[in-house]
Amino acid sequence: MAQDSTSFDAIIIGGGHNGLTAAAVLARKGKRVCLLERSGSLGGMMSVGGSDDPKAPPRLAHLLYNLNPTVEREIGLQLQTQPLKTISLSPDGQHVKIDGARARMMDGQPHEKAVSFGMLHDRFTRYAKLLSALSTRTPPKLSGSWSDPETFGELMALAGMGWGLKRMGKVEMREFLRVLLTNVHDLVVDELGDGPLAGALAADAMRGAFSGPKAPGTLFSLLYRFGNSGQVLMPIGGMSTAVKAFEDAARRAGCELQCHKAVAQVLVEDDRAVGVKLDDGTTLTAKAVLSSVGPLATIKLAGIANFDVEIARRAKNLRAKGTAAKLNLKLSALPAFTGLPEELHQHRLLIAPSSEYVERAFNPVKYGRVSQAPTVEILLPNASEPGASQWLSAIVSYVPYQAEDGWTPAKRDEVQHAAIQTLESYAPALSSMIQHAELLLPSDIETETGAAGGHWHHGEMGIDQILNVRPINGMAHYSCGVSGLYLCGASAHPGGDINGAPGRNSALQALKDGVL
Amino acid sequence: MGLIPTVFHPRLEALSSAKSWISWAGYQSPIVIENVEFEYFAIRNQATLFDVSPMHKYRVTGPDAEAMMNRLVTRDVRKIKPGRVGYVLWCDEEGMVIDDGTLFRFSDEDFRLCCQERMLGWVLDATWGFDVQVVDESDTISGLALQGPTSFSILKEAGLENAGSLKPFDLAEVEPGLWISRTGFTGDLGYELWMQNEAGLAVWDRLWDASKDWGLRAIGYEALNLARIEAGFIAARLDFQPIHSTLRLGRGRTPLELGFERMVDFGKGHFNGRRALLAQKENGLRSHLVKIELGGFKPADGALLYHRKRKEVGHVTSGIWSATTKRNIALAEFKAPYGGRIQDDLWAEIYVHEEGQWDRRLVPVTVQTEPFFSHPRARQTPPNPF
Repeated sequence: MAQDSTSFDAIIIGGGHNGLTAAAVLARKGKRVCLLERSGSLGGMMSVGGSDDPKAPPRLAHLLYNLNPTVEREIGLQLQTQPLKTISLSPDGQHVKIDGARARMMDGQPHEKAVSFGMLHDRFTRYAKLLSALSTRTPPKLSGSWSDPETFGELMALAGMGWGLKRMGKVEMREFLRVLLTNVHDLVVDELGDGPLAGALAADAMRGAFSGPKAPGTLFSLLYRFGNSGQVLMPIGGMSTAVKAFEDAARRAGCELQCHKAVAQVLVEDDRAVGVKLDDGTTLTAKAVLSSVGPLATIKLAGIANFDVEIARRAKNLRAKGTAAKLNLKLSALPAFTGLPEELHQHRLLIAPSSEYVERAFNPVKYGRVSQAPTVEILLPNASEPGASQWLSAIVSYVPYQAEDGWTPAKRDEVQHAAIQTLESYAPALSSMIQHAELLLPSDIETETGAAGGHWHHGEMGIDQILNVRPINGMAHYSCGVSGLYLCGASAHPGGDINGAPGRNSALQALKDGVL
Repeated sequence: MGLIPTVFHPRLEALSSAKSWISWAGYQSPIVIENVEFEYFAIRNQATLFDVSPMHKYRVTGPDAEAMMNRLVTRDVRKIKPGRVGYVLWCDEEGMVIDDGTLFRFSDEDFRLCCQERMLGWVLDATWGFDVQVVDESDTISGLALQGPTSFSILKEAGLENAGSLKPFDLAEVEPGLWISRTGFTGDLGYELWMQNEAGLAVWDRLWDASKDWGLRAIGYEALNLARIEAGFIAARLDFQPIHSTLRLGRGRTPLELGFERMVDFGKGHFNGRRALLAQKENGLRSHLVKIELGGFKPADGALLYHRKRKEVGHVTSGIWSATTKRNIALAEFKAPYGGRIQDDLWAEIYVHEEGQWDRRLVPVTVQTEPFFSHPRARQTPPNPF
């Protein structure tokens, strides 16, 4: 095809899974799409790389929590996954095995609160399903009158959700409204008592957040994680397969995917986005530009002068301080966790022995200090292959984005040391097995991926930064003021995790607006 | 009184027989010095001095000053050349007026924004991302408004005759440290003099000493208010509510609703509130602020306005008896389309009091397009002696 290689219908900035999803959605509607990725590899926080060892774990995200089924279906994502069980470790060896709604002890007996846990799990799943009706739509604006077709449609969607709420019955509806803005700790500890089972829910709710489980509104974060059944999925073949699946979906749809292309500027003419300028000076034109880099970076790319003062101020003040660090350890052998049968080492291991523990792990971060007893999510990706090189992939919470007196090599060592000490109290002799360690702090993640604050969700999922104020008031409907410019990353509604809905919704909004 | 005296306060205090003061941005400012009528007629027939030091003044300098200002205000700042002053309005993201004021351009990269409302936080927010410095000069720069037909004669007598070449809205440093702009709030011939606080009293005395044959009078806010309504100028908190100080929804007004569409340059690139203003232009205005003339002679301040004597369609925001033009005049806000598309059969409800009897009268209202008071001497360059 002799088509102009510098002119497209849409340009996508950033090759994370949301960028790839947005690209695939648009291309499947027959649009000419070019996706530009600054780094050498696609996948954003899912991207693998970093080690010559093919058995090495993914550098950042190592699991799928919240993959949106609508996205999977609509972009034809060909990805096979298997759900992982969760083992919530206990210092006394009384670990809890969580498999969906079931909670058992290591000896196979039900956990003493197994019934309550089952009911709680079902309830969260129901509530999350109700809320997830909102996640595949642009948040309601409700700015027009009743007779305005767009407003009417929004009201109908909300009415549908209200109807779903009503249908749950009076008791359940009341309970839903009671707990929606509450905190994880009170609700979970009330039902389950505090211990590894409650700790697992608290840790799952708070992973990536700048907040402890006792903070108001945190239950919403947990429901968000339950949005797609609450399962934790491991792509068969590892995270690289997941990256490949998104990449293939975009390529099959006909997108042009280009790595090592850093966008220096979004070109704006007459209040319309008309293309981008790369840092090598190349200019690419398009009718729409979808940016997955978050509001502040997007505003800077398109020129602050093109935005209202209030928008710039809000973007600048977006709460986006990452708290999750990634620790990848190359080990000389598979470590043995005390009291954990060997066949369970291949599941997801959590160090969150109580909800109280998670809260205390958060406290130091408020002051820019490092948790000495962090919450850790552990994967031993090659546990089922004793012959292979062994790695330990850990997400360590909480680690501050900005350290109290700035980050120093000593301070980095402190994070690594605290994490390894914590691991070692569950897996003795771990430190003697370490051959190589790689630590990625939130600030490193920011540098590598461009996500503001290195934040898991590209912006805190607080009650002040969700729905029609996500990421900020005035930018919550994917469009950014400048016509043809859209946010398509995790900072946009509904939010982060390997989800895809922000990218998909953003692309659909651009199509609906008729800009391309 | 707990108010801060301005630099000129010793002179004002000595002249004041009314002892009538008001807080203007925390400064002690005269409502009346002696008598409103004398002061008002001095504006139109002699010359007057009004202390404008309490105005908020923000100096914005730097390579991006023009671009920053152009994004802040609705006008095209590029058209305000160095040595010129422009009347400007600025809006929030919804197109609601935050305040209006005058923008002084000293050079390519040097501006001063003068306004009624405290604006430092907003100006600082608006500078983010631009290579500029902001200095709040509100408390370091003093200002005197010298207004009236003999005002140039006094400048000349005071040795400042080079101000004679200033055209309306021109600005020049006539002496080191003394800037004069041909601007004012009276619609008459007049100048504003700007200097560092330390130089203030000397300038006052110099003008006063030069004024013997030209009838200079110090005035207070009330007389100025009469003159500004005659000139058709709007005042913050009276004719519109600055959006940042309103608490209730929908109390802000856009420049289009205030009748300043000519001050909104949609073609210049983005400015704050542009998208909202474009949308409003498309969807229609909610209200119209217009000049009206009313029947009778009773000042109509606050009066309700009716269409066909029955339907309430607005109210007077500033109303006076204009002694110079001998007309009953006002600024008024109508709910659209009244005052805009519909201008006939409009009435104002006036209450009159006669020896203990109150009576309600409906007087006819006609919408005006020209300033109530306009005199060629206000524009003549160089000005006549009077």
